[in-house]
Amino acid sequence: MITVKDLHKFYGSGGSRSEVLKGISLDIEEGEFAVILGASGSGKSTFLNVVSGLEAADGGSVCYEDQDISRMNDAQASRFRKEIVGFVFQQYFLLPGLTVDKNVKMGADLAGNKNYRSLIEAVGLGDKLKKYPHELSGGEQQRVSIARALAKKPKVLYLDEPTGALDEATGRRVLDLLCRLQRELGFTMVMVTHNQNIAQTAGTVLSMNSGRIVERRRNSSPKTAYEIAW
Amino acid sequence: MIHVKDMSKMIGISIVSFCAVFVCALFLNFYLDLIPAKALIHTDAAKILYEAQCSTAKVVSIVSGGCLLFTTAVLLCFDIGHYIDARSRQLGVLKALGWPGFSVALHFWAFGPPVLAGTALGYAGAHLFMPVFYETQNKDGFLPDISIAFHPGLCLCLVFVPAAFFSLLAIACSYIKLKVPALRLIREQSLQKAVPAKRETDLPFLQELKKSNVRQRKSLVFFLTFSVFCFASTTQMSGSMTELSSPLMAYMILSIGVLLAAVTLLIATTSVIRANRKTIAMMKAFGYRAGECSRAVLDGYRPWTYLGFALGTVYQYVLLKLTVTVVFRDFEDIPAYEFDVPAMFLSLAAFLILYETVLWGYTKQMKKISLKEIMLD
Repeated sequence: MITVKDLHKFYGSGGSRSEVLKGISLDIEEGEFAVILGASGSGKSTFLNVVSGLEAADGGSVCYEDQDISRMNDAQASRFRKEIVGFVFQQYFLLPGLTVDKNVKMGADLAGNKNYRSLIEAVGLGDKLKKYPHELSGGEQQRVSIARALAKKPKVLYLDEPTGALDEATGRRVLDLLCRLQRELGFTMVMVTHNQNIAQTAGTVLSMNSGRIVERRRNSSPKTAYEIAW
Repeated sequence: MIHVKDMSKMIGISIVSFCAVFVCALFLNFYLDLIPAKALIHTDAAKILYEAQCSTAKVVSIVSGGCLLFTTAVLLCFDIGHYIDARSRQLGVLKALGWPGFSVALHFWAFGPPVLAGTALGYAGAHLFMPVFYETQNKDGFLPDISIAFHPGLCLCLVFVPAAFFSLLAIACSYIKLKVPALRLIREQSLQKAVPAKRETDLPFLQELKKSNVRQRKSLVFFLTFSVFCFASTTQMSGSMTELSSPLMAYMILSIGVLLAAVTLLIATTSVIRANRKTIAMMKAFGYRAGECSRAVLDGYRPWTYLGFALGTVYQYVLLKLTVTVVFRDFEDIPAYEFDVPAMFLSLAAFLILYETVLWGYTKQMKKISLKEIMLD
C-alpha cells in the first residue's frame, strides 16, 4: 500500500521558486490500477517521480508499506527502486546498442529472473529477440520497455504517459496488454496520463490540477482498452 | 549556427594541434637553418652530427607530426559527430525547411579556427623556445653557429594549411553525417546503427553492456589506447633522454606526452559518460548503483588501456634503441641503451593512479545524472 501525506515539492530558488506539488495526500491499495489524470503542467509527472523514489520530496511523506521513501538517502532509494519499483516511460529509453533480449535482461538480472523470455513472448515479441531498438516500431519498443519493467518483478509499476507517443491502434494494444498483465500478475499499477478516456480503464482515478488532487473517484466497472474512445 | 561556446569545447583539438606544430616547427626550422651550414662543416665528427641532426629532425617531424595530425583528424570528426548528435533536432528542422545538407554543412567551417588557434600558438611557442633548443642541439659546439631564421613557407604549411585543411575536413565530415532523412534527425533517432555482436553470448546484463559499449564506440577505444600509449612512451622515454640527449629534451617530451595523454583521456572519458547519459539514468532509475553503472560503462575500455601501455613501452624502447644503434651509431660517447625496468614500473604506477583517479571522479559525476534531466532533453 502506498500512503502519501501532505506532499510538497518545489522547483527553482529565490524569486523563481515555484510549488509544483501543494500538499497532496492519498492512498493507493495493493494490486490496484490507479490513473493520475491531469493536463500538461499539473504536476502529475513530478508526483510520479517523487512517489517512485526518483526525486526527493521537499515536505510531507511517501510511504510504501512501512518504508518512508521521502526519508531515504541515495543508496536506500536505489535499493527501494531495485526491489519494489518498475518504470515505463513515454520515450521508452531502450538501450540502443543492445538487442530486445538484452534490454529485457536489464530488468531481469536485478530480480534474478531467469524466466524473463516468457515476458517477451507475453508482449508478443518472441520472434524479435535479436532485433535492436532502431529495427522496431514505436509500439514494439514500448512493449519491450513494458517487458523490461515487468522482468524485474516489481510490486509497483509506474507508467508516465505510456501511450503518449503511439497511434490509436498501437496505443490500444499496449494499454490492453498492460491491463491484462496487471490482472494476471497482480502488481500495483500507477499511470500518469492526460487522456481522460484512458482513465476509464482504471479502478481509481485521481484528477490533478495545479499541484493538487482535485477529485478522486472509484470506477466499479473499468472498461477495456478496446471499449473506450481514444 | 555554431557559437563561440561550442568552439570552446574543442579545446582538445587546439591542444593536440598546438603540440603537433610546436614539435614540428622546432625540428623543421632547425633543419632548414642547418642546411646552409653544411658548406661550413669540415670535420668528420661535425659531418656525423650534421647527418644525425638532419635525420632526427625528419624522423621526429614525420612521426610526431603525422601521428598528431591523424589524432587531430579523428578528434575533429568525433567532435562533429557529437555536435550533430546533440543538435540533431535543430539540424533536422533546418533540413526539413528546405536547407540543402551542403549549405548546412558549410557552416561547419567554424571547426577550423580552434585548429588555427592551436597551430598559431604552437608555431609562436616554438619560436620563443628556439634559442634554447638550438643551443641544446649544438651544445658540444661541433656545428657552426646556427642562427634562427623565419621561413614563411614553413609558417604557411604549419599554421594556415592545417587550419584550412581541417575546415574542409569539418565540412566534408558534417556533410556525410547529415546525409540522413530530416525526419530521422528530428526524431533524434540514433544516427549510428547498433553494431551487432559477432557471436551470441548469454552473459549477465552488466557484462553485455560493457561489451556493447566497446563495440559501439571504437573511436573511443582508439583515444584511450592512444592516450595511455602517449603516457607510457613519453614518461619512460623522458627518463632515458636525460642520459642520451639533455634534460631539456626530457622535460619537453614529458610535458607534451603527459598533456596529450591527459587531454585525450579526459575527452574520451567525458564522451563515454555523455554518450551513456540516458543509459546511466535508466539504470539508476531501475535501481543499479552508481558503481555498477560506472563499471558497465567504463570498465570495458580497461584492457585497451593496458594494451596502450604495453605498446607505448615497446615503442619507446624500439625507437630509442634504433636511434642509438642506427642514427648515432658513429658517435663514440653515446651510452649503450638498455630497457629501463624501474622507469617502466614507475610509469605504470603513475598511470594506474592517474587512470583510477579519473574513473573515481567520473563515478562521482555519474551520481549526479538524473532521469529528470534526461526526460527534459
